[in-house]
Amino acid sequence: MKVPMKWLKEYTEINLPASEYADKMVMAGNGVEGIDNTGDLFDKVVVGHVLSCEGIEGTHLHLCMVDVGQAEPIQIVCGAPNVAAGAWVCAALDGAHLPGGVKIKKGKLRGYVSNGMLCSGPELDVPAGLYPHCGEEGIILLNEEYKPGTDVKEVFHLGDDVIDFEVLANRPDCLSVWGLARESAAVLDTHCVMPEISVEEAQGVGTFDDWAKVEVQDDELCPRYCARVIKNVKIGPSPMWMREYLYGAGVRPINNIVDITNFIMLETGHPMHAFDLSKVRDHTIVVRRAHEGEPLTTLDGKEYTLTGDMLVIADAERATGLAGIMGGEESEIVEGTTDVLFECATFDRTNNRLTSRALGIRTESSGRFEKGVCVRTTMEALDRACMLVNMLECGDVVPGAFDYYPNPLNPQVIDADVDRINRRIACHLTATEMEDILERLGFEVEVSGSELSCTVPEWRMDFETDADISEEVLRLYGYDKIPSTLMTGVTMAGHRSEKQALLDIVKNSLVSMGYYEALNFSFISPKWIAALNLPEGDPRRNFVTIRNPLGEDTSVMRTTLVPSMLNTLALNINRGNPEGRLFEAAPVFAVGKTETTAATETPSLCLGLYGDKADFYALRDAVICLLGQFGIKPAVTAGGDGYYHPGRKAVLTVGDTEIAQVGEIHPDIAEAFDIDGRVYVAEVNLSLIPALARPIPAVQPLPRFPAVTRDIALVMDEAVEVGPVMDAIAKAGGKLIEEVHLFDIYRGEKLGQDKKSVAFALSFRAADRTLTDAEIAAAMDKILAACREGFGAELRS
Amino acid sequence: MQDQLKSIREHVAEELKNIQDSNALEQLRVRVLGKKGELTAILRGMGKLPAEERPKMGQIVNETREKLESAIDEAAAALRQREKEFRLKRETIDVTLPGKTREAGSLHPMNIVLDDLLDIFTGMGFEAVEGPEIEYDHYNFELLNLPKNHPARDAQDTFYVDDNVVLRTHTSPVQARIMTTRKPPIRIVSPGRVYRADEVDATHSPVFHQIEGLVIDENISIGDLKGTLDTFAERLYGKGIATRFRPSFFPFTEPSAEVDLTCAACGGKGCRTCKGTGWIEVLGAGMVNPKVLDMCGIDSKKYSGFAFGMGIERLTILKYNVPDMRYLYENDLRFLKQFR
Repeated sequence: MKVPMKWLKEYTEINLPASEYADKMVMAGNGVEGIDNTGDLFDKVVVGHVLSCEGIEGTHLHLCMVDVGQAEPIQIVCGAPNVAAGAWVCAALDGAHLPGGVKIKKGKLRGYVSNGMLCSGPELDVPAGLYPHCGEEGIILLNEEYKPGTDVKEVFHLGDDVIDFEVLANRPDCLSVWGLARESAAVLDTHCVMPEISVEEAQGVGTFDDWAKVEVQDDELCPRYCARVIKNVKIGPSPMWMREYLYGAGVRPINNIVDITNFIMLETGHPMHAFDLSKVRDHTIVVRRAHEGEPLTTLDGKEYTLTGDMLVIADAERATGLAGIMGGEESEIVEGTTDVLFECATFDRTNNRLTSRALGIRTESSGRFEKGVCVRTTMEALDRACMLVNMLECGDVVPGAFDYYPNPLNPQVIDADVDRINRRIACHLTATEMEDILERLGFEVEVSGSELSCTVPEWRMDFETDADISEEVLRLYGYDKIPSTLMTGVTMAGHRSEKQALLDIVKNSLVSMGYYEALNFSFISPKWIAALNLPEGDPRRNFVTIRNPLGEDTSVMRTTLVPSMLNTLALNINRGNPEGRLFEAAPVFAVGKTETTAATETPSLCLGLYGDKADFYALRDAVICLLGQFGIKPAVTAGGDGYYHPGRKAVLTVGDTEIAQVGEIHPDIAEAFDIDGRVYVAEVNLSLIPALARPIPAVQPLPRFPAVTRDIALVMDEAVEVGPVMDAIAKAGGKLIEEVHLFDIYRGEKLGQDKKSVAFALSFRAADRTLTDAEIAAAMDKILAACREGFGAELRS
Repeated sequence: MQDQLKSIREHVAEELKNIQDSNALEQLRVRVLGKKGELTAILRGMGKLPAEERPKMGQIVNETREKLESAIDEAAAALRQREKEFRLKRETIDVTLPGKTREAGSLHPMNIVLDDLLDIFTGMGFEAVEGPEIEYDHYNFELLNLPKNHPARDAQDTFYVDDNVVLRTHTSPVQARIMTTRKPPIRIVSPGRVYRADEVDATHSPVFHQIEGLVIDENISIGDLKGTLDTFAERLYGKGIATRFRPSFFPFTEPSAEVDLTCAACGGKGCRTCKGTGWIEVLGAGMVNPKVLDMCGIDSKKYSGFAFGMGIERLTILKYNVPDMRYLYENDLRFLKQFR
């Protein structure tokens, strides 16, 4: 809300520079976005009187001698067709700055010295509405005589500070000059005087009922509707002071009637509408819900189809406007308008908001109704408009008014307790001090002991409980006076949640293994899920969909972290980062409502790896090492999702529970994600860890007897997996075997095709004796037998 | 015979001077002291001596053997020492060569900041809790005094899953969940992802992170809120960082405040980071609206509380001077590696 300081000062006293004033307002909760000065547009532009003006032969230029208030007239070359001797003009002098970074310098045009420039409206960025001649062709011709050399800003009434207030959502009353004047007076602890409203009704023009009829059919959506009629309207420009205020507030001046409605909206916060009464069929205004499917053409020429939930302003025949949102084209105020009906009403906030949203129309008026317009002061605002009609002498106010207000609101009274407020705001104010603050804000306060009975001022709509009173007291007393205290009461043990503690271990382990943490958006493109080639019916295809996403790329909640990781790997590869180790720990989402949760959220972990040193085993072992941090020792089995390389993927299980998958990404999938080269990805279901985690067991005594080691090399088919062989060796070795260590795999012609020799170092030990050769030999025989039977393995000769 | 012994001692002494390696030394030992060595040969010759000379001669031979042995041992020790020194010299490596060990990775900068925040708040007795990201409207809005169609909802452009389900727009629904399931005293913080329908640009992201704090107990005042945030500010940014409260509006708190911290970049003198004000707007806070307490089943006559919430992205950007919010979600390793 932009407010010229001068306008505020009409109603209250502000004896501070704008910036100091703004600071005080900010610290009382009235945010300020910025301070502008309407005079910052240009400088060194003065009133000039053209003494002589001669055409320069062969050009469209004129050589002018202009009195700019200096000792001698100055010579200016001017190309405008409307320049003439005797004209009063705006002369930009040597060194003047104009809007758009233009700088005026003394120079020569066609050999003639020019000491400045005579300016047009656009050159000074002054809108046509602000000064009558600004928008016309050619240079601005001032319509009065001034002292030559007078700063043009004085002529246009520029130079006022304009404060751009950032009004909080609960303070719609401050979306008005009066509201902010009251607020200023309270903050600065000074007086605030509103104009006394009195309308001079004309004689001999009948009464309201002679000229118009209003019918409100819905008191729920339209709690109040006030109207008045103005006859014998003379449309013309509004006076300079009004234009100046509107311009300062960022509203383009148009004509006196339209300017009055805008002025009232800015001054009182009440949006108004003016109808050309002659265009209203049967001079009848009907406020009703639209018929289902009813068509409407708005002021801006757009066509809409309405629903029965929308409130319209209709005439005897059809809907002509959307209540509180936009008027109709037909009854617009035009040059020849002579009879005007002023509407000042309040409409239901929610309904207004829903209609404006449904149709996609947002106007200054709809924005105000959404935030809340004070129902009590509606008639007052309308009368203020008529008062301005009197003041501007632009029409006759017809006696009588229409005021539909079936359920008048009673004044709101809130009881508050001084001690309770003090406890809440950590202050020690007396009842009198609180009373004083509240009265500055317009409350009527009755004090009895420590009880305050506060009557809320009629313009305030944001009070519900005594907590609101406490805020008002603290706000004016000063947030800067809040003491810094320490909480008392029960001591509480602070700690991280179990989930965070687990994530800390996961993340720190991965970081020490050289992995970097990534963060990706939780929503992804459904195409990414499709690209994984998951089978029909896979639960990961059943994602939660966002109804109003920013775009398709971010429209579904991810059911797996893999696609985001692939995207991250692709980005890094394509940006030339030679190797990458990344992880992301985040929830994945699935459809599944319960009474307390709206979807299923499962903490997940994804690892991604690429580069020269990357291979399947590096990633698999990172996962195994990570799980080892929780005492989980998973079994590794070939297999896994279809987006992995068919021969390079594994499932990690504990008992029957799958906890992770790891593998090289299938080249087709890699290609779909714009990845050239091999990348490795693992996904771990973190939600399983707490249940599977094993605490560190009780300590075993250190061995007192030596271990015996034996190496064994077994020749087996290439297709035989080594992992199960090692498990079989450990099993066959029984209690005596302590460790099975793979140390070599050899392939060679001597072994035959599709054969490999796998060499293990075995370590045997007993807790109570040194093992004998015979015991070892027996164990080795068993081991060999098991490998022969189970895997067709033979001792390498 | 004595001359022979003397000659052996002399030539051994002479040879020892010249011996450079342990093999030659061993050969000398065998040649002189071995079973077929020179000294043994002399001992054998003792049989030819008269019986009375033998003990004396035997003693002399033994003395000679001991002397020779110790001389050779000494030489051997010296040789080993020399060889060790030589090996050590030979084994000198270039300790500045790049190694083969893998460097550690790093946490995402936002989680580095979050770790600090959790340390600070858990140290002040706050329990960290979490809540769901796909959330019922009821918890995200209604219990927080933001009924359906309330215009203040517009300030939080919401992603909807259906009429009653949203992607949470703030971490505040966790407050509502805790208040409806626990009894005071309550002292929690809740970090997590939140969502708003903002297009991605240098200062906006549709996914971002907040941390929320909530305290409910008897006699909690806005002074306690200030005290808590003052402590937080100093722990996070260091001594001399203060808070400034400005009145504001949130439907779920009353009174409400925007809280600024002393600009850490200039210490409050005013600089580019703080646009010359000396303050940085960091968080929103306030006393829990009694309506919210009542809606959540907590007696607002008996209990009061405060709540605060802040954006972790903002804290991260301020702490590390991150020039563009998009860096935080791109996961370019050249960015992530700067947080090792």
